[in-house]
Amino acid sequence: MNFTYKGRCWKFGDDIGVDGDLMPLEFAIQRETRIEVLSPNTFKGVDPTFAGKAKPGDIVVGGKRFAQGNPHIQGLLGLRGLGLGLVVESIPRGSLRNAVNAGVPILPACKDVTKSVETGDELEVDFASGAFRNLTRGVTLQFQPLEQTLRDIIAIGGWRPALEKRIAAMGLRR
Amino acid sequence: MAQTIAEKILSRAVGRTVRVGEIIYPEPDLVTVHDWYVVNFDKALQDLGVTRLYAPDKVLISTDHEPVAVSVLAAERQRQVRHIVAKYGIKHFFDTGRGGHGHLFPMELGYIKPGMFVLAYDVHANNFGALGCLAIPLVVEITDVLACGSVWLKVPETVRINLKGSMRPGITLRDVADRMIADVGADTADYTVMEFGGPAMGSIGIDGRMTLNNRPIEIGVKSTVFETDAVTFEYLKGRVPPPYQELKPDPGAAYKAAFDYDLGILEPQVAAPPTPDNVVPVSQVAGRKVDHAFIGSCANSSISDLRDAARILKGRKIAPGVRFVVTPGTQLIQAQAAAEGLLAIFTEAGAMLTAPGCGPCAGGRTLPLAKGEVSINTGTRNDHGRLGPREAEIYLGSPFTVAASAVAGKIVDPREFL
Repeated sequence: MNFTYKGRCWKFGDDIGVDGDLMPLEFAIQRETRIEVLSPNTFKGVDPTFAGKAKPGDIVVGGKRFAQGNPHIQGLLGLRGLGLGLVVESIPRGSLRNAVNAGVPILPACKDVTKSVETGDELEVDFASGAFRNLTRGVTLQFQPLEQTLRDIIAIGGWRPALEKRIAAMGLRR
Repeated sequence: MAQTIAEKILSRAVGRTVRVGEIIYPEPDLVTVHDWYVVNFDKALQDLGVTRLYAPDKVLISTDHEPVAVSVLAAERQRQVRHIVAKYGIKHFFDTGRGGHGHLFPMELGYIKPGMFVLAYDVHANNFGALGCLAIPLVVEITDVLACGSVWLKVPETVRINLKGSMRPGITLRDVADRMIADVGADTADYTVMEFGGPAMGSIGIDGRMTLNNRPIEIGVKSTVFETDAVTFEYLKGRVPPPYQELKPDPGAAYKAAFDYDLGILEPQVAAPPTPDNVVPVSQVAGRKVDHAFIGSCANSSISDLRDAARILKGRKIAPGVRFVVTPGTQLIQAQAAAEGLLAIFTEAGAMLTAPGCGPCAGGRTLPLAKGEVSINTGTRNDHGRLGPREAEIYLGSPFTVAASAVAGKIVDPREFL
């Protein structure tokens, strides 16, 4: 999997809620997990036109406590469906697990990153090395990448394919 | 290398010294799952082609979220749970009317001891931290653990809480725990293990330690754990065969943050809607009329909590128009409450008793609210919709505050009743 994303920046502030802001709560209540149903509703609570504008390879840059709230996976599956990368200042434990489980490339701890970007900037982010470049502003930053083990889960497509692979490797399937 | 308690337990579980931030796959000593996820994990395993559990002798299932089936659907689920337990040869099964709440009875029955590592389907399993056990909640990934024996965990940082001081009359550990999570805050707590100790620890029994362990989950901790002391070992006597591991952090262990927390808070505390860390002194919400009151849940259903409620209710009646529910945490607690005459006090006051387990706190499946109603209870969450309709208000408080408010028909400072 190519872990370098080059695309447009979509910047969001602090405390974006996983329910309501990132994805309407009703999908979590219905336990909806079909990506094609979820992705057109991504960020609906903040910008109803977002899904129509974002393109695969674009990068969402969030502030502190991105995807806070009850750890529902639906909003992260929405990001996955749109083919977006995720760079945030911080993300609560449950939503970090869900980003990995949804297969969304992420840099989870990028202090003050929102100060170096604006929506519309051209970004290049290597999620394997943590290299972050704002091509529009000529800014280069270096962040801690996600651990290799977790990048492997993301690369294979998230929780379900990763578990299938592990079960096959352990010879558990009968 | 100097280690916190969580680092010690995780190091033991993987057989080498762990570093904060690294990804590990520790195998748990026990896996717990409650009645509302058994059918789900069985279906997931079937889809994945897995027919055997990794360690069925280490799995404990408890029917605590819906012990009393009041629909054919619920009875059908209970039937399926029994079938699934038998199919996989799961060793520890506590059906309805047996153990009670799965975050309490495993401690009473000697399943939990210091130094253990537990993975659990359900967020408040870290109650087991009261005995020096590290229990980490999972959701869908419990399937990985059941099939493959483990799942990835990032070794967490630890936040240290040194308990000091003593409690004033009419204040309970629920008040302290609620005030504490509001004071510590989600930014500090997220993804950490909260470790408790300090000079006031010896004054707190295992029941109170459970309540202190229970609340920080609401501000995003991964788990919570107490040091062990004489209180721990006294509780274990007769439940778990010795020897007992003494668990303390090493001198010089590294913490993300450390707080001295004084038990001597001045006023009873109430968590107002819509989040459990929206905690205010009771005087700020006093006078709010209530329709529904409930003592129970994994936060406050111990014998100590029932004694607190009975102290208020003895010789008093629940206010007209208020329905009042008491759910003892476990079968043993219910039996002890009967032996001590507490159930008679509740009954005389006009309370309803429900089967040991979660009670209404499990999403309001039993005894929910109607639209526009107000509840005060000792449950774990006060999100809109937690007890049924979104258009209802939930306040959380101590057993004293809940019982006194049920008598008054409105939220009151319980110290007027003591």
